[in-house]
Amino acid sequence: MTDDQANRRPAGMAPRPGQWLVALPPTAFLLVFFAGPVLLLFAASFLAPGDFGGLAPVRQEGRWALTLDAYGFFFSDWIYAEIFLRSFVVAALTTVLCLVLGYPLALAIAQSPRRRRELLILLVVLPFASNFLIRTYAWIIVLGPMDLLYSPVAVIVGLVYVHLPFMILPLCINLEKHDPALLEAAQDLGAGVWTRFVRITLPLSMPGIRAGSALVFIPVLGMFAVPELLGGTRDILIGNLIKEQFLDNRDWPLGSTLSVLLTVAVLLLVGIAAWAGRPRESIS
Amino acid sequence: MSGVRLALLAVLLAAVVLPAVAEDVLYLYIWNTYLSDETVHRFEAECRCRLNQDFYSDNEEMLAKLEAGAVGYDLLVPTGNAVETLLRRNALRPLDKARLPNLGNVRAEFRDPWYDPGMRYSVPYATSVTLLGYNATRLAELGLPTDTWALIFEPRHLEKLKGKVTVLNSQRELMAAAMKYLGYSVQETDPARWDQAKRLILRAKPYWATFSNSTYIKDLAIGNIWVAHGYSSDMYRAQLDARDAKRPFVIDFRTPKEGAVLAVDSFVLHRSGGRPDLAHQFINFMLDGRNAGDVSNLIGAGNPNAAATPYIRPEIAANPGIFPSEAESRRLEMLRDFDPQTRRLLSRMWTEIKVR
Repeated sequence: MTDDQANRRPAGMAPRPGQWLVALPPTAFLLVFFAGPVLLLFAASFLAPGDFGGLAPVRQEGRWALTLDAYGFFFSDWIYAEIFLRSFVVAALTTVLCLVLGYPLALAIAQSPRRRRELLILLVVLPFASNFLIRTYAWIIVLGPMDLLYSPVAVIVGLVYVHLPFMILPLCINLEKHDPALLEAAQDLGAGVWTRFVRITLPLSMPGIRAGSALVFIPVLGMFAVPELLGGTRDILIGNLIKEQFLDNRDWPLGSTLSVLLTVAVLLLVGIAAWAGRPRESIS
Repeated sequence: MSGVRLALLAVLLAAVVLPAVAEDVLYLYIWNTYLSDETVHRFEAECRCRLNQDFYSDNEEMLAKLEAGAVGYDLLVPTGNAVETLLRRNALRPLDKARLPNLGNVRAEFRDPWYDPGMRYSVPYATSVTLLGYNATRLAELGLPTDTWALIFEPRHLEKLKGKVTVLNSQRELMAAAMKYLGYSVQETDPARWDQAKRLILRAKPYWATFSNSTYIKDLAIGNIWVAHGYSSDMYRAQLDARDAKRPFVIDFRTPKEGAVLAVDSFVLHRSGGRPDLAHQFINFMLDGRNAGDVSNLIGAGNPNAAATPYIRPEIAANPGIFPSEAESRRLEMLRDFDPQTRRLLSRMWTEIKVR
């Protein structure tokens, strides 16, 4: 079954105006509380910082006080690009580790009997019951005696720990929908365990892998609490840099510029990934 | 029937009377754990009103919330540079000193702060010093000095402390410590001296465990870390935690002899507050020695109130980390905000320090 078929409306059901009515509040919510702030952020990146924090007035002496200063400052020194690159590497590494650790577990959960499956999924979600900062603090106690605290390893361990459920859940949802008849048919045709996995399970689970990877990769790029609590003297990511501009340094325009450039970089990356994984023409 | 009527009457009366009583509320926007429960109860009994506290953990957080339009707070407790910011934004109400007969209790050296000479808008409440907290037992074993910034900057000391030192994750505070060690002012902006401080920090950095703004309290108390750059009230807490847990070591803290950063938090009246009368009553109540002393006993804060001394527990009043000697006090400096361009340049240098 392809995505197209899954999305198709059941026969005989015409679109109803009620559907739009129901979709209106969430759409309005997103427009006001998501699109609005993003536009404000974009605008703020072209202003000057205020003398005592905040932003300088948009109009000064009857003229628009727009400036590219913050962008110029970003590109005036390699240091910011270096932190961007480093953060993307950390995010990619975290995503790969989550995938490697999460996939076998998701497969085992998806193939277990229905009643146990619900219990196992509950266990995966259970950490959300306690606050994520408290769970990260707990790692300080765990890693302290192992001499791993305040190191890049501790940061990766913390990031993988926090994001693992976001990889497992979409994978589970995908894997439990696979039709066991396909695997049986492959076995009847003489395919071994490995061949069945590589030729059937893995290709069918690509949507789950893509969803899980996006849910891990993108939040890691904005994460500042884990490096701050578990990292050493060199572990700084874009998230920390942006947070510092808004809070410690009160340079909102530079913070906004960093956020805008991060968004652009992520969109570019997603665009490239979508292009690389675009559906090829095939005979159906 | 008459019972029902009586009940109705009671409800009506309550509806009319209760809001009038409930109107006597003083709204306070204050740091976490900055007023003890006893102080609050005592004031509520005296003024027959209610004290409503909202908390912040950071001056920036408070300024940001007010900037975003939060109104209705009678009193705030900002640090010096945040008082200046609020004054420049015209957000504060001048004090009516006729309503503050206890104002004379403020120590002379706190009456003319740079941000508000003559206390026209602010009344100092509590102080803290950015200093070094340390595991006194370990440092004595290693034969290291405890009264100098050299402890966190000089490789000859750090070699014995590798991975056991944390410094504040704050560009201003760490630069201020380096500047003081080099013999300059914390307001120094000369690029050559900045560069000198940067080299000093980069030379010491490989020996440090991490930049930490809060975890050092626990790390000191459980023995993970032996030296921490941080705030005196945090060090006091680490000291108590280690003692309560019966650790086989003692935590102590001192103001380095080269000087350090002093922070003074003051009561100010926000313009949006509806009850300046209660706010003045509260400030005057807090200026009374007994009430003023509570904050020192509660969190180990320094105290700008001369009348508070007899009410402060002797071991706190005699602690030079909390109440620096006169000679040490002269070398303390408060942080003033840099202009935006300087802030941006300092931030880039800070980022470089982090990455290298």
